[in-house]
Amino acid sequence: MSNQSTNAMVELIKVSKTYHPNIQALKDVSISIRSGEMVFITGRSGAGKTTLLKLLCKMELPTRGLVEIDGSDIRKVRGRNLSYLRQQIGVAYQDFKLLTDRTVAQNISIAMEVSYRKPQVIKKRVKTLLEELDLTDKHSSMTGDLSRGEQQRVAIARAVANSPKLILVDEPTGNLDATTTGRVMDMLIGLNDSGATVLIATHDHTIYRDVDHRLLELRGGQMHQLRDGVMQ
Amino acid sequence: MSFVFAVLRQVFRNFRQTWLSQLMTLLTVSLSVFIFAFFYLVYLNMLNIGDKLGYDLRLIVYLEEEPIPELQEQLRRKILAFDEVEEIHFVSRAEAFERFKTQLGEDQDVLEDMPEDFLPPSIEVVPLKNLRSLNQVKLFSEYLSKLPGTIKVQYGQDWIERFYYFTRLVSIIVVLSAGLLILTSVFMVSYKIRLTIIGRKEELELLKLVGATHSYISTPFLVEGILQGLLGATLGLTSLFGLFYWIKMKFSGPGILNIFEFSFFGPPTIVMIAIVSILLCLTGSYSSMRKYLRT
Repeated sequence: MSNQSTNAMVELIKVSKTYHPNIQALKDVSISIRSGEMVFITGRSGAGKTTLLKLLCKMELPTRGLVEIDGSDIRKVRGRNLSYLRQQIGVAYQDFKLLTDRTVAQNISIAMEVSYRKPQVIKKRVKTLLEELDLTDKHSSMTGDLSRGEQQRVAIARAVANSPKLILVDEPTGNLDATTTGRVMDMLIGLNDSGATVLIATHDHTIYRDVDHRLLELRGGQMHQLRDGVMQ
Repeated sequence: MSFVFAVLRQVFRNFRQTWLSQLMTLLTVSLSVFIFAFFYLVYLNMLNIGDKLGYDLRLIVYLEEEPIPELQEQLRRKILAFDEVEEIHFVSRAEAFERFKTQLGEDQDVLEDMPEDFLPPSIEVVPLKNLRSLNQVKLFSEYLSKLPGTIKVQYGQDWIERFYYFTRLVSIIVVLSAGLLILTSVFMVSYKIRLTIIGRKEELELLKLVGATHSYISTPFLVEGILQGLLGATLGLTSLFGLFYWIKMKFSGPGILNIFEFSFFGPPTIVMIAIVSILLCLTGSYSSMRKYLRT
């Protein structure tokens, strides 16, 4: 990541995304998210929340506009630099993207293995995350054998395992009960308190109702600010 | 965790997950190496045999009359005008009779009533001792037969021509089997790696998303290609050596195979075959990975 003095972790300027044949997912979206900020993006299904997150980790490229992560234009980041950038971004995908023939521990380890973390460090971090997310007894279970809620927590654990600077979470509580939702949110807030920038796309109002972080809404591909946030 | 450790772990995982297709690829590469090396070994030994046969090869030019020294010198110059030769020896009627008598040994009394000049005089021409001159023997023989005063030329035409054509045939088979080695090694390994990539598409996509570098993703596959090439060459050459040894043991003792000394490849040739096999498998592996990483 660049060492620019700007404190904007995410910068989107007039970003549009159109899918074939002519489906406009995002239209002239401009937002700036400061480093260390926690932001909730809400909106109905199909509003463009997932597309927005995909643009931020370069899973998709914008049709128009500028997307910058920590000062780097996402279009210009390629090869090794893109790999290093992605190591700094933890993503919990809506469809989890878990390897169902691998154990929970192996799935969580992947993000740390590509950064060449030491095996004992990986082991310790996996143990801590499983405890935080109440998955200790699932350490050696195949993720294909887990419930949707458990899989969701594994996906979140993998996203945060490498202590990334930017955490993108897509619908983190869709399959979780209230207690587990609380655990997940506590962990994300804890990471935000430690300095990570957290962006949560959700339509679950219960998770942003009682906090005073910035709240944005995507409506018809356009961004609207519902609530200004307070940096913690 | 180091890069080397990460690569070795992934190579081990690949072998464990796709051991059956790995084994099939290994056997195919081994078989290709075996076929190529077999014909190449036959070819090399034939070249050796050719050298040895060429060593004993001589053309005998039978003459109408015994040439006087001046004519001998003229014929010598004419012979050397065609090509360099190892030796030219004029055999008189008397010398031919004496040789024949010696060859008959105990039966030489059959010559008692024969005149001592009944055998024609001749010139023995020993060509240079290499296969090039062996292949040229036919042309040389035609040239010599046109020299003035020549009755006929003898050199064991039949076996030389057969040997020449057989050597040509083996050299063609060597080239074809080299083609087979190239095709099977490159395509089998490439195909196998492509199948592995398809089988592990989700995992590789995820690795890209969590920030794995191209070298982190591709190096295990390249190492796999190198191992396939190395193990394939080792297995193929070891099997060939086993066959070679068995044939040598089985047919040792008096017999046609014992006339010539057959030899296995020397260390430089073995290393060269192994390197070629490794490079071919690496090429197959690299081409598949390149295609995948480009998409």
